[in-house]
Amino acid sequence: MEIPYTVTARPDTGLWNAKIGVWLFLASEVMLFGGLFSSYIFLRLGADYFWPIHELNVKMGCFNTAVLIGSSVTIVMAWAGVKMRNYKMYFWNLLITILCAFLFLSVKFFEYKAKIEHYGVVLKDGTILLGHQPEEGYRYKFNADAVTLNFKEADPAYFMRYATKAFAEHGGAHDEHGGAATPTLPIEGVKFKTEDGKVTTLATNDFLSLKAAAKEAKKDSVKLTPVEPIGFNVQLLPQRLASHSDKTLAFLDGTVVEGKMVSDKMELHVDVIDTRAAPDADKSMAWAIMKDAGWKHAFDEAREEHLKKFKESHPGDDPMKSDHYLREALRFEIHGETPAAHEANHKQGLGFFHDMPWAEHHYPTVQIEAKDIQRWSNFLPKWNTYYAIYFTITGLHGAHVLAGALVMLYFLVFNSRWFKTDPEHLANRVETGGLFWHFVDLVWIFLFPLLYLL
Amino acid sequence: MANSPEEVAKHVKTYLKVGIALLFLTAVTVWLSYVDFGTHSRNMTIGLAVATFKTSLVVLIFMHMNHERPLIYKFMLFSMLLLGVMFTLFVFVRDDGLLLKGYEAVFGKH
Amino acid sequence: MSATTLTHDHAHDDHAHDHAHHEPGWLYKYIFSTDHKVIGVQYGISGLLFLLFGFFLMMVMRWTIAYPGVPLPGIEFLSGLPVIGDVVTHWTERWAPGGIVSPDLYNMFGAMHGTIMVFMGIVPLGFAAFGNYVMPLQIGAIDMAFPKLNAWSFWLFFIGGMLMMASFFLPTGAAQTGWTNYSPLATTTHYIVKNTWLTGQTWWLAAMVFVISSSLLGSVNFITTLLNLRVRGMTFFRLPFFCWAMLVTSFLLLLAFPPLEVAAILQLFDRVFGSSFFLPTGLIQGGKLLDISGGGSPLLYQHLFWFLAHPEVYVLILPAFAIISDVIPCNARRPLWGYKMMVYSALTLGFLSFLVWAHHMYLTGMGTTMATYFQITTVLISVPSVILLTCLMISLWGGSIRFNTQMLFASAFLPMFGIGGLTGLPLAFSFIDLHLHDTYYVIGHFHYVVAPGTIFALFAGVYHWFPKVTGRFMNDTLGKLHFWPSLLFMNVIFGPMFVQGFAGFHRRWYDGGKAFESTTQDLLWTNELISFGAWGLAISQVPFIVNLWLSIKGGKKVTNDNPWGATTLEWCTPTPPGHGNFLSEPVTYRGPYEYSVPGHDSDFTPQFDGQAPGASAPAATPPVASHH
Repeated sequence: MEIPYTVTARPDTGLWNAKIGVWLFLASEVMLFGGLFSSYIFLRLGADYFWPIHELNVKMGCFNTAVLIGSSVTIVMAWAGVKMRNYKMYFWNLLITILCAFLFLSVKFFEYKAKIEHYGVVLKDGTILLGHQPEEGYRYKFNADAVTLNFKEADPAYFMRYATKAFAEHGGAHDEHGGAATPTLPIEGVKFKTEDGKVTTLATNDFLSLKAAAKEAKKDSVKLTPVEPIGFNVQLLPQRLASHSDKTLAFLDGTVVEGKMVSDKMELHVDVIDTRAAPDADKSMAWAIMKDAGWKHAFDEAREEHLKKFKESHPGDDPMKSDHYLREALRFEIHGETPAAHEANHKQGLGFFHDMPWAEHHYPTVQIEAKDIQRWSNFLPKWNTYYAIYFTITGLHGAHVLAGALVMLYFLVFNSRWFKTDPEHLANRVETGGLFWHFVDLVWIFLFPLLYLL
Repeated sequence: MANSPEEVAKHVKTYLKVGIALLFLTAVTVWLSYVDFGTHSRNMTIGLAVATFKTSLVVLIFMHMNHERPLIYKFMLFSMLLLGVMFTLFVFVRDDGLLLKGYEAVFGKH
Repeated sequence: MSATTLTHDHAHDDHAHDHAHHEPGWLYKYIFSTDHKVIGVQYGISGLLFLLFGFFLMMVMRWTIAYPGVPLPGIEFLSGLPVIGDVVTHWTERWAPGGIVSPDLYNMFGAMHGTIMVFMGIVPLGFAAFGNYVMPLQIGAIDMAFPKLNAWSFWLFFIGGMLMMASFFLPTGAAQTGWTNYSPLATTTHYIVKNTWLTGQTWWLAAMVFVISSSLLGSVNFITTLLNLRVRGMTFFRLPFFCWAMLVTSFLLLLAFPPLEVAAILQLFDRVFGSSFFLPTGLIQGGKLLDISGGGSPLLYQHLFWFLAHPEVYVLILPAFAIISDVIPCNARRPLWGYKMMVYSALTLGFLSFLVWAHHMYLTGMGTTMATYFQITTVLISVPSVILLTCLMISLWGGSIRFNTQMLFASAFLPMFGIGGLTGLPLAFSFIDLHLHDTYYVIGHFHYVVAPGTIFALFAGVYHWFPKVTGRFMNDTLGKLHFWPSLLFMNVIFGPMFVQGFAGFHRRWYDGGKAFESTTQDLLWTNELISFGAWGLAISQVPFIVNLWLSIKGGKKVTNDNPWGATTLEWCTPTPPGHGNFLSEPVTYRGPYEYSVPGHDSDFTPQFDGQAPGASAPAATPPVASHH
């Protein structure tokens, strides 16, 4: 017995099974992306920072939009190919659709990569510096003489999460230039001595036996000294710890590290100075950090220029109430290593591809003291709710693209032989896949302006 | 449903035209987003209007919703209705909230 | 085909119709089957086991509520068992040192009781098990529209369920923040650990993503089957109410679950990627600002959650109505009263259920305008619910009622659900809700709806369809031994909760209110009473479990394919139905509830009876063209 209406439509509904199925699925997808879009609205209305506009790479987004639109045309052509019994038309259009899907995902990969390598630093006064870091991720170096574990927690979770890597003190700690050959090792691998001279590590099992021993001795904590001189890379700002000084770091899980702070400075290649959230752009902390007074000068000049333009186009309006003006005038983009280079680049024009991943960049390098920093992160969901929703929606959308591509690949490889034997069934399959594919396309049609442009 | 080969063949040209229109409208959206319309909400409205037009092209032509069975209209109508409920009520509840009023009392309007 | 000539020689029939197929192996016949009946039974067994497990969690909670600080009985016995002893010892050392339930354990069991009962127990049993088994039979289909997808639904659900269960053994234990998992509490519980992927809170979210995906696929399948696989003559208004209720439930699952999936995904991002969707600016934990961006909204989580979770209430109750609407007419030998009205009520109920969600959020500081809106819709939705209940009650009028076990459960469902529904009305009004919110009153209210309400209906369904599934009856005496104590103890448990609620007992007190003795002392004894009710309820399930397993092999054999004298199509299949269900394609000649029709030979005229007067079987005709 066969299940009816897999190929031909049922007379009273006028539909075959998979078509009802895929439309129902799309109805639920509408609610899924609807939920995400309403979260977007909710977060944007409640945002307590300047919502990023044109901060993603518009050219790449635009290219991807074109790719998806093109593939929407080819998938419907593939379907028409089956209906018109034109095998070549079916085969090539379906193949191009699949290739478009993978092209889209590759572009997305480079976009994500660029964001992951891009850092933002919120200074104490609200000014935001954006840029790249010479090594991935800010960390400061702390030479450890002793580590005291506290047994109130299941494991020293906070410590082990943020003190990510250890390094042999003589190999790297005193190497001010961060020599490339700094030997680092995972924190579980560091060997410690207990007070009674036993050698142990922080791996879970060793920790549990330390804990058991302490419980027997009725002690709350145990002090460990490194077998060899050792330092830690700590990824959490000192002010986020339970307490800190130049001699101790106390983590929230009760772990205390004693030793010496080697350096807590963050190095950043700055490409944007965003003073919108600072109370007074002229007195922003950024200018002291940038050192060269030429930057402030360049900023002032650019601001004047934008103010003039604004007054011409919007006579009588208050520029401080225009998001557009604020973004252009108070968010200063740097296009050179020195103020002079910046001016020169600015005058001769930047070239169409200046913001693409393969373009070469030279930005000023600055040192930021840890105490001046409020927050820092790369452009991941952690940075702000905009990047959070960007990664979530585009990630889910990307998963849909991948799923659609795999389904169509399946049709191409395994169902193409139906072209001769059961063309209407094949047409139904392609139509079903196509409906899903168009839905993926139309989600992107909204995503592109909402995330890249507006 | 466009089911016979002749009918489908007639549609092929339409598909190509719609594809070109969509590409053109994408360029228009990008261009409009750089124009300063005074307030950002105007930019939003215009940008989303173009996006809505683009999606309706996709839905009507590519997804054949311009000539579909009544049942499918019912599904989509129902889910669009609920989507509308979700969008509007989320925002209404937020803006009618004591929380927001309390927030404004403390930090001022923003 | 007359109803009285339906007895078949089963041994013969089982193979007669599928000789063309090659026999699948045991694994593919019973485990990875794509047959809707096998999948229905799989859902049924796992649902019942989850219900039992959820009940055990609750009994541990009831112990510590009644006797805070007293070691749990039986731990020593369990620790001494050969295989699981070590695990029990190890686990209780961590969570219940000395056998005394720790607050963390209470929170964990509280959260998991709710989650397991709602998402792993009742929905899989009521919707997926009964829907899968009965619905295709009732519309005369040979299987679901997408059998492979159906199997996928079950296995996704199974993976989700196993993830939930496994999370108990993580170092952090399972989720501990209530079945609602409100942020920021849920996000920041076990937040700063070495690996957030290995925490119960994260596994809860991951498991939910699996369960939700399973429900989505299932509901797509249900709706497609109902629309496209109805047999000849089965017009929409000949569908049994069971199928209508399943249709509405499917739509609720289809459209309400995605927002919860969004909530789960966003909370997952908050936990593992450090985003701040539901975390406000300036959130402090352990006296220190959390290293997060902030800017998110805890209210957003509640919106997304309740946008699902209110329709979810109707997902729990509609399958109950579905079952009852089959059991009552069959055993009252009367047609279902107001069938069309019930259908329209169910549709209205389904639609309105999307417009009421924020009545769970009155306490969040919602403004008066929106509160008024949600109060109005909430009161409105009680109208269709009351219509459904009233129609079922009127259906009893003038019937010659057979009080077999399923009918007892069905008739007890009516007043029990009635109490649950009526006690919900006051909660619709924000000024009362502000007082009663999160008290035992609320617990009593919704447990009356789902425990003696839905679960009784599910029991009725088990007794009703058991002969069709296994070919044997369940024992009626054991059934009555199951029913009467259950009814008594359900009321002992949930009745006093209303009183406690009025006295301000909070639902999350792990010591049952002993810490607030000055205000609670007059009613502390009710804690013990309720707990005794719970042990009693546990004991009264023993006859059911015994009955269920013994009857599979030892029950009285069914000699007639239609043993209850019912009218719907599932009763014209061989018993139990083989692969492909029907011996020949059935035809529907009449409406679903032709009981005691004047002028007919017997007191029931099945839908598949073409001989009795009034038969007609319209073929499916194309709809009016809506295009070109």
